[in-house]
Amino acid sequence: MTETAKIDVGEGAAIPSKNDWGLFNAWVISIVGAVAAIIYLLVAQPDPYQRLLVYLSDGIVITFQVTVTSICCACVIGLITGLGRVSKNKAINLVASTYVEIIRGIPLLVQLFYIYYALGRFLNVHDLTAAIIAMSVCYGAYMGEVFRAGITAIDKGQTEAARSLGFNGKQTMFLVVLPQAWRTILPPVGNEFIALLKDTSLVSILAVSDLLRRGREFSSETFLYFETYTLVALVYLVITLILSKGVSIMEARLSHYVRR
Amino acid sequence: MKRLFKSLLIAAACSVLALGVVGCGKKEEKKAEPAANATAAAPAGPKTIIFAADAAYPPMQYMNEQKEIVGFEVDVIKAAAEKAGFKAEFKNVAWDGIFAGLAAGKYDAISSSVSITDERKATMDFSDPIMAIEQMLVVGKNEKATDLAGLKGKTIGAQIGTTSYLVIKDVKGFKAIKTYDEVGLAMEDLVKGSIQAVVADSPVAVDYTTKKHADKIKIAATLKSDKVENIGIAAKKGNKEVIDLVNKGLAAIKADGTFDKIKEKHQMK
Repeated sequence: MTETAKIDVGEGAAIPSKNDWGLFNAWVISIVGAVAAIIYLLVAQPDPYQRLLVYLSDGIVITFQVTVTSICCACVIGLITGLGRVSKNKAINLVASTYVEIIRGIPLLVQLFYIYYALGRFLNVHDLTAAIIAMSVCYGAYMGEVFRAGITAIDKGQTEAARSLGFNGKQTMFLVVLPQAWRTILPPVGNEFIALLKDTSLVSILAVSDLLRRGREFSSETFLYFETYTLVALVYLVITLILSKGVSIMEARLSHYVRR
Repeated sequence: MKRLFKSLLIAAACSVLALGVVGCGKKEEKKAEPAANATAAAPAGPKTIIFAADAAYPPMQYMNEQKEIVGFEVDVIKAAAEKAGFKAEFKNVAWDGIFAGLAAGKYDAISSSVSITDERKATMDFSDPIMAIEQMLVVGKNEKATDLAGLKGKTIGAQIGTTSYLVIKDVKGFKAIKTYDEVGLAMEDLVKGSIQAVVADSPVAVDYTTKKHADKIKIAATLKSDKVENIGIAAKKGNKEVIDLVNKGLAAIKADGTFDKIKEKHQMK
């Protein structure tokens, strides 16, 4: 019962199920379509598309940087928050819960403005740093809730068994509960990763030169709005699809020993 | 099960109600529209021209606390409208995408300190020049550099898609060139030290360095150009009616001194 417990958070792109290995599933169609469309555009209309792709290239790197760094930081913050949320220590529990409540109640766009422009008056943070802090703090709160749900989804009997075998609280959590919870947690966390990747487009409002900002710069100068945003959308789509595939592969590995 | 059904029913009722309210609102809007069109089409009534303005560009066009779009260029257009016999309406539109909206026919013209350039002339039509502007380099109070070359290795910013950005776009040697949605955000970054310089249109640069942040930033230099930069009203390619009306009004207010009075009112040189 516990081993197949699943929590579904319907956010972000759908992560392909590990049973979807056929040739004609949604993921294959999307990625083949997107890559083919990009190649077609580059070959059929080298100008402006090749020029555009060259212009966007450093933006793609920045988007990638923000995503990967934020995912790592958000995972750490999420784990700490999740553990805090299930902690029996009242003070820790209260701090973690308050953090989640506050952050979840403020739109990410407002948080970005707040950290960069409002707090920026006192502590001058670099634009990229501000973007990563805002993304990590925001998604840390969401992931904290996912971790909490995953931990509480593990049957109490597991904890009881571990404790009766002489494990202390820390050992029980890290050696027995978390390894099992990770399997339950991964699909919704993967969804958060994908949502985070897409939300990095918001950091362009801090004048961070990410993919979207580079696209806007190009289009505002050349007036090629259709061409620019078509390519920007396709590039985002390809990155998201690759990430979602990565998550689904990880998921398949983790549930290798689970009988279905 | 019964309770689930009940709550579903309530949810459905709520959504129908909400949809109804939205629907009614839309219907009213639709009713109002033909009326407005009728007056515009009637030969007796004055023609209404809708101008798009990025109202974050003091002192040219900005929002006052009453949420009205005001500023030097707004006053100029309103005065011109009076003389040429049309009605000017202003719509706040973000700068990035303002030209795309014009091409898509979302408004008749742009009155947003648009510099007349050859590139822009290829995709839209312009009125006669309203006035000439220059590009100015704004830096922090303690900055010693007096030209772009002196800022090598530093970060510089400008508003996205402006002629100010074009000035710095291809200059090598900066640590980074940042583009902002609004010139005010670039000035804010300059004030808090995230960037070391901003290039902006002369009226805007003067406004920020003499009013809002007079104690923190200053004008380092006027960037010389071999071409005179004029600002004008932009309209969709081929929209001669709007251009003619605006030109007629502009000529009239320049001839009778109204233009100079507006300049004086906004303390422009």
